[in-house]
Amino acid sequence: MQPRAAVKRPSIRVSDGQREAVSGLVLVLPALLVLCVLYIYPLCASIAGSFVSDEGIGLHNFAKAFTLYGTDILFTIGITIITLVLVFVVAVLTASFLRFRNWPFLNFVYRLPLFIPYLIAGHTMRVFLAPHGILNILISRVTGLSDLPGLAFSWIGLVITFVWKQFPLATLLILGAFQSVEDSYIEASLNLGGNKVRAVWEILLPICRPTVLVAMVLTFVSTIGCLTIPLLIGPSKPVMLPIDMAFRINYMGDWGVANALGVISYLIVIALSMYYLSYTVKKEDA
Amino acid sequence: MQNVTKSKWWQTMILKTIAMVLIGFIVFGPLMGTLLWSFAEKWFWPAAFPQELGLKYWKIAFTGQSPVLDSMAISITIALIVVVLATLISVPAGYALARFNLPWKRILLVLFLMPQAFPQLPVFINMTSIFYRYDLVGTVPGVIAVHLVISLVYSVWITTAAFKSIPVTLEEAARNLGASRLRVFFRITLPLATPGLIASSIFVFITSFDEFTGTFFIGAPFIQTLPTLMYTASMGYNMQYASVIAILLTIPALLFMLVLEKFLKAEYISGLGV
Repeated sequence: MQPRAAVKRPSIRVSDGQREAVSGLVLVLPALLVLCVLYIYPLCASIAGSFVSDEGIGLHNFAKAFTLYGTDILFTIGITIITLVLVFVVAVLTASFLRFRNWPFLNFVYRLPLFIPYLIAGHTMRVFLAPHGILNILISRVTGLSDLPGLAFSWIGLVITFVWKQFPLATLLILGAFQSVEDSYIEASLNLGGNKVRAVWEILLPICRPTVLVAMVLTFVSTIGCLTIPLLIGPSKPVMLPIDMAFRINYMGDWGVANALGVISYLIVIALSMYYLSYTVKKEDA
Repeated sequence: MQNVTKSKWWQTMILKTIAMVLIGFIVFGPLMGTLLWSFAEKWFWPAAFPQELGLKYWKIAFTGQSPVLDSMAISITIALIVVVLATLISVPAGYALARFNLPWKRILLVLFLMPQAFPQLPVFINMTSIFYRYDLVGTVPGVIAVHLVISLVYSVWITTAAFKSIPVTLEEAARNLGASRLRVFFRITLPLATPGLIASSIFVFITSFDEFTGTFFIGAPFIQTLPTLMYTASMGYNMQYASVIAILLTIPALLFMLVLEKFLKAEYISGLGV
């Protein structure tokens, strides 16, 4: 019996901190090894490979990438930002509504696209938004108009598909954060004469900033890196960067420029995350 | 007075119905198209509904000549192996991250998130060139390796959260009664973490079952999983056939969506907090 020892040690921690760290690392090691060999190594290879071309080591691949795919880079950034803004608006609206009002129907239904894989979302929208697709059939039935343009294979179809597929995850995360904010905060704001819109903008969103940030970064990254949706529903010109990368590899065998495009997409992700971080930090200071 | 409340009640009901139809159309509309196409034997513009409905393409998918059944078998086999491997390496890692005083714990957790939080395609293509050297391109182990690394974040994070949600006091009580640390883990901690392990397995299974981009590069052209098969059909405007496969790919995810409610406890989600 050693009851005193149990009181002394609030958790089952080995007294020797270093020994604990070592045994902990041993337990993490298999997972870490898998990650290093299968992820970190190819990630580093992609960065290193972007500097290697037939002309030697240097920025040739980047120069080539910018001259060949400058429009596509801008197009990718544009589509991603539009998607991000729309996902933010839809997710915050849905989450706010569900925070204030319990509507089981909406709470269940909005999650559906989350469980539809990207590939299926692309195919589904290809059928739905095609010139002779379901949406146009319905519109022409109701309005009597014919010869409607198809939204598929245009940037609008691309954005619709991205938003449809991605708002549920953002909503799920933001709603979870909203629900963890106590009612008393919101009531206080409402009692001071604010309305619900102000309660969301001035109370809920600032408190839940870290979660909103995570939701937005996840949306941003999965939009900019997605190959399937642009392949299935995007316009043929300009295209998103992943299509250019796949093209460089599959048809040209040009790893250098493909890697340069990859590094450019890393840089876009890092830049936008940093901007978003500094923007939200500044807002908190103000 | 009563009339006023009654008319207001009607107004909200009408508004609610309109909202339901609209939301339903936004969410289900696109999927309805795919569902209809899978049963459409003839569907010409501008008919609002297929001229002929039938099971023709479902029959084609499930008879001997079509590759659907083979692809499904490969997809399920790969997904199950990935689940086993991911669980085997995530349980010790998750336990250590939840219970041990590890240095750089946060950095480790973020590292596992990286494959999902950073553009994947450049990594996949470099993986392909590395795998060429070891003859892993176009093989099942190669595809398993890709699926494993991108689903690792779910298994590591959810198992970590699951272990965290178990009160340490339970383990201490068993330890004080003289049980060894290993015994405590297998008799107390692991059984209590089972719902979390199931949730993690579900996430890993779905991630692997529906994975396309990595498989497209590493598996091509010999490993034809259900997603790559669907892609080929959809790109070839074989709409009925592609829609049948699309539905086959969606069913497990939808089933799991219902099951997951049960296993993914709120504590886990809060435990995922970054």
